[in-house]
Amino acid sequence: MSKLNKIPRKSTWVDMTAFVDVSFLILSFFMLATKFKPPEIVQVQNPKSVSSENQPENDVFKVSFDKDGKVFISFSPDKEAQDKAQQTAEVLSRQKGLNLTPAQISTFKKFSIGGIGVPVEKLPGLLNLTDDEFKNFKQPGIPVQDSLNNQLNDYINALLTATGGRKPENVMLNGDNGTKYPYFKNVLAAFKKNGIFSFKLITALEGIPEGTPLYKTHNTKK
Amino acid sequence: MGADVSAPDSGGHKKGPGVKKQARKDTRVDMTPMVDLGFLLITFFVFTTTMSTPKAFNLKVPDDSAKDEEKNEAKASGAFTILLSKDNHVYFYEGQLLPDGSNFKSSNTKDIRTELLRKKANTPVKDLVVIIKPNELSSYKNVVDMLDEMQIAEIKKYAIVDIDPGENKLIQITEGSAATTPAQK
Repeated sequence: MSKLNKIPRKSTWVDMTAFVDVSFLILSFFMLATKFKPPEIVQVQNPKSVSSENQPENDVFKVSFDKDGKVFISFSPDKEAQDKAQQTAEVLSRQKGLNLTPAQISTFKKFSIGGIGVPVEKLPGLLNLTDDEFKNFKQPGIPVQDSLNNQLNDYINALLTATGGRKPENVMLNGDNGTKYPYFKNVLAAFKKNGIFSFKLITALEGIPEGTPLYKTHNTKK
Repeated sequence: MGADVSAPDSGGHKKGPGVKKQARKDTRVDMTPMVDLGFLLITFFVFTTTMSTPKAFNLKVPDDSAKDEEKNEAKASGAFTILLSKDNHVYFYEGQLLPDGSNFKSSNTKDIRTELLRKKANTPVKDLVVIIKPNELSSYKNVVDMLDEMQIAEIKKYAIVDIDPGENKLIQITEGSAATTPAQK
């Protein structure tokens, strides 16, 4: 027993300074690099593509469709797009006789950042909700199923009327992997009907497969 | 009070005995809570951050209302038609579909690339046109994947066209037979 006690006790204290240095370096990196996810009303899993073009942030009119085929429209939060959202709501109110109040129109602007997905006639009801109610409200989606009642057409038509026929700069389609093709076709049909033929599909980045023609041109360009 | 009397010039460099005796405090601080907090914040930012920023894939579609004579007629020899169906099934045929369906072939999302590249190598550039025909059971992902294949193979002319009932029937027959012979997979 006495021999055992003679073994010198090493201190268990570890110098953590280096550890703290590294951890705070990583912390500051993430704090600066982070960009908070915008509140997503529509849950989508984007397909992948080799396109490496960054998606535009300003003046965006986005149509999203989730895996059940629910269609939503949204405007980006910058001023230009928000002005268009306001004009769209005003035109829509006039065209469809919704009689939206100025308060409802400003709510339309606010909700349009997250996504609006109700048939036109249900719009006034949606715009009476508070922010919290809106977050929990299950929107049915804009009906696009048949060509007779393709209400996305009404929304796009109102947008084009509001801008005096000038096409929006960035029309984005935000689709889910699992959406069935007919919904996509009907969304395209609504745009085509209004003379919009150029889109940007939102996709996730994927590497270019080796040995393909695109791979070769990509590497010779560098 | 007593210290003042015993050491009258304690303000100088000559230190009094009382000062020397003051116990040296260990300057090391226990950093464990700080590390804890640091890593908590790191995990928070790691989970909230969106690293992979979404990309934009440009798509231009033709105007359907164009008059018939303005439409581009595809040369049958350079046409390559891809049919998309449920569960990522891919079928294709070259040129025109023969009445007996003998040039109707089954493929998958991976093998279609080699078929496309083979077709591209054997066809003059101006004649080559790929027609993508998704049926109502195929998904948005299938369509985007095929558009992506066009980018990968650098095929300039391609179109998304509605499927013919005859072609759809052929797919159904093929899928029906595939279901009875699962060894094919």
